[in-house]
Amino acid sequence: MEVVGWHLGIPASEVYGAATSYTELRLRQPGTLTARVCLGLSCRLNGGDRIMDAMESALGIRRGETASDGSATLEETACGFLCAVGPAIEVNGRWHGRVTADDALSLVAAQGAQSEGTL
Amino acid sequence: MGAYEALVDAARRRHSDARGGKTRIVVQVGHCSQAVGAGAVAAAVAGALPGDAYLAIAGCDGACFAAPQVRVATPDGAVRAYRNVSVEAAHRIVGGDVDAATPYSAEGDAFFSRQRRVTLAGCGEMDATDIDEYVLGGGYAGLARALSRTPQEVIDEVKASGLRGRGGAYFPAALKWQGARSVGNTPRYLVANCEEGEPGIFKDRHLMVGAPHRLLEGAIIAAYAAGVNEAHIYINAEANLSAERVQGALEQAQANGLLGSDILSSGFSLEVRIMRGAGGYVCGDETTLLNTMEGYRREPRQRPPFPTEAGLWGQPTVINNAETLCSVPYILANGADSFAAIGTDDDRGTKIVSLSGSVRRAGVAEVAMGATLRYIIEEVGGGTPEGRSLMAIAVGGPSSGILPASMIDTAIKPGFIHESGVMLGAGGVIALDDRLGPLRAMRALAAYNAQESCGKCTPCREGTPRMVEMMDRLASGKGSARELSDLRELAELVNAASLCGLGQAAGNPALSALRFWGDELAMMAES
Repeated sequence: MEVVGWHLGIPASEVYGAATSYTELRLRQPGTLTARVCLGLSCRLNGGDRIMDAMESALGIRRGETASDGSATLEETACGFLCAVGPAIEVNGRWHGRVTADDALSLVAAQGAQSEGTL
Repeated sequence: MGAYEALVDAARRRHSDARGGKTRIVVQVGHCSQAVGAGAVAAAVAGALPGDAYLAIAGCDGACFAAPQVRVATPDGAVRAYRNVSVEAAHRIVGGDVDAATPYSAEGDAFFSRQRRVTLAGCGEMDATDIDEYVLGGGYAGLARALSRTPQEVIDEVKASGLRGRGGAYFPAALKWQGARSVGNTPRYLVANCEEGEPGIFKDRHLMVGAPHRLLEGAIIAAYAAGVNEAHIYINAEANLSAERVQGALEQAQANGLLGSDILSSGFSLEVRIMRGAGGYVCGDETTLLNTMEGYRREPRQRPPFPTEAGLWGQPTVINNAETLCSVPYILANGADSFAAIGTDDDRGTKIVSLSGSVRRAGVAEVAMGATLRYIIEEVGGGTPEGRSLMAIAVGGPSSGILPASMIDTAIKPGFIHESGVMLGAGGVIALDDRLGPLRAMRALAAYNAQESCGKCTPCREGTPRMVEMMDRLASGKGSARELSDLRELAELVNAASLCGLGQAAGNPALSALRFWGDELAMMAES
C-alpha cells in the first residue's frame, strides 16, 4: 500500500481507506482452497446454514477464517445471485447450485485432491 | 438499400449459409444454469455434434427451476425441449434418442404463458453469441428507427411510453437523457449500470447473457438521444459470463457498423467500453458508482449536482440500469403506445421479477406492472412446494421490507407498495415459509445493510449495526418495551438522515417488521 501511495502521490492511509471500502479486495493471502457459502435469504431457506455448518466442521475453521497452514479459506456471502438454483456455494471461483451438505463436502474434497495433484 | 436493410440482408445470408437446413440444438448457458452443469452439457453436445446439426448457445429463458435446458429443432419444423438435462442425457439427445430426458412440460408452459416478455423476448431461444440471430429476430430495428429521427423525437417517444428506471428508483428515463442533453458541457457520458449487487436479484445477468445485443442497442439509442459519444458498460466483477457475452456482442456490433463512427450511415458516432465493477450493493447509488469508476472510495457524493449535470469526471452523465436500456429498443421499434399499453395507467410497461425462495418454479419472470404478488408467486411460480405454506414475502431486497402472507394481493408498482417501507425496488420477490421466518429474514436484511454501509454518514454507519443489536436482544428475550420504541425511532432516524439510497432505506426492514409483527416482537420484549 505504501508503494501504491508513493506511486500515486497520496498517503498510504488513503490507499488503505479505498482498498478496505471494497469488499472485493482482500488484504491477506487466501487459502489454497477458497470456499464461499451463500447465506442469502433463498439459500438459507433451502439449507445454506446446514451447508455452512458442515463446511466449518469439515475444514476445521470458522466462517471468515483461513486455516493456519494456508490450506483453506471459508467465507460466507450475502448473495451469489443464483437464488433460483440455491443453495449455492463457490469453490475456487466456480459456483455450484442446488447443492446439499454432502455435495459441498465432496466438492471441497475433490478440489483439495486436485490442487495437491498440480503441485 | 439503406444501411439497416443491408445489415439484415447480410445477416440472413450468413445465417442461411452456416445454419440453413440443419438441425438446431440450443443449449441454455447462463449464470444459474452454469452452476448446475449447463457448461458441461454444452461441451458434451459440441463434442458429439453430427455434421447436419449445429449448436446454438443461448442465455437462460428464466426458468431456472428447469435448468439446464436443451432444445432440438429439426429442419422439418419439429421441436423437442428438455429440462434438467445431465451430461449423459445430452449425449443421448445428440444421438437422436427422443426420450433422453424429461420433456419440457406443461409446467414450463404455465411459467411462460403468464408472463409478458419485452426485455426478455427471445432469451433462451436465440443464440446469444451471434448477432445474426438477434438481427433476424428484429434486433436493431429500434436503433434504425431512432437514427432516422432527431434525438428530441426519440426523447419524446420514450417520454410518451412512460418508461421509468428499472434499477429501483423509477426516475423517468427520458428526463435523464433530456437533462444531460440540455447541459452544454461536453463530452457527455452514458453509463449502463449492470453492477446488480442487490441480494436476491439476478435479472440483469439474465439480460446480459441472454440478449447482450439488446443491451447494446438500448445503450446506442440512449446515447443518441442524450448526445453522448462515449458509453461505459459497468458490469459486476463476478459476473464473468455476462461480461464475456457483452464483450462478444460489442465486437460483433463494431464489425457490423453498429458502433464506432457513422453508425448505420447516420453520422452518429459512439464508442462503448466495458468496465468491470466493484463495490456491490452501494453502487445502486449513482454517485457511488461514479466514485468507484474514478477509483475513489465507494461512497456517495453530495447532490446536487446530479450526475446529469456533473457526473463522471465532472461531465454530464446519464446512468441507466440494464433493464431500462433493454426496454428501449422495443419502444422505438413498436412505438410508445405499444409499451404504454402494458401495465396500468400510472405504471407503464413490464417489470422483471427475480423470483426465489419457497416456490415451485423459481427463476426470472417478466410481468406487466400492476401484477399482484399472488399472480407472481402462485400463477407464475406455481405456489409453494408441497408441504410448505407461505409465511411472508420479502419484496425488493435489503432496502425494502417484508410483507405477511396475508398481503399477497398487493400489486407491484414503482416505489412503495406498502407505506411501512416495502418497495418494489429492482424487483426481488422471495417467498418465505417456516424454514426462515420473517423476523430472522428481517435480521438478515438489517445485518446486510450494516455490513454494506459505506460509513460516510454517521446515522447509517452507527445506526445500522445498532439496529441489528436491538433485534438480537429482542429475539433472545433480553429486550424491553423501551427497546421496541427505540428501534422504531432509530430506523426512522437512519432513513431520514442519510445521504444515499442505502441509508435512506436501511430502516425499512425494521419498520415493516414492527408494523406487521409488532405484537410478536412486543411479546418477546415482555418475556
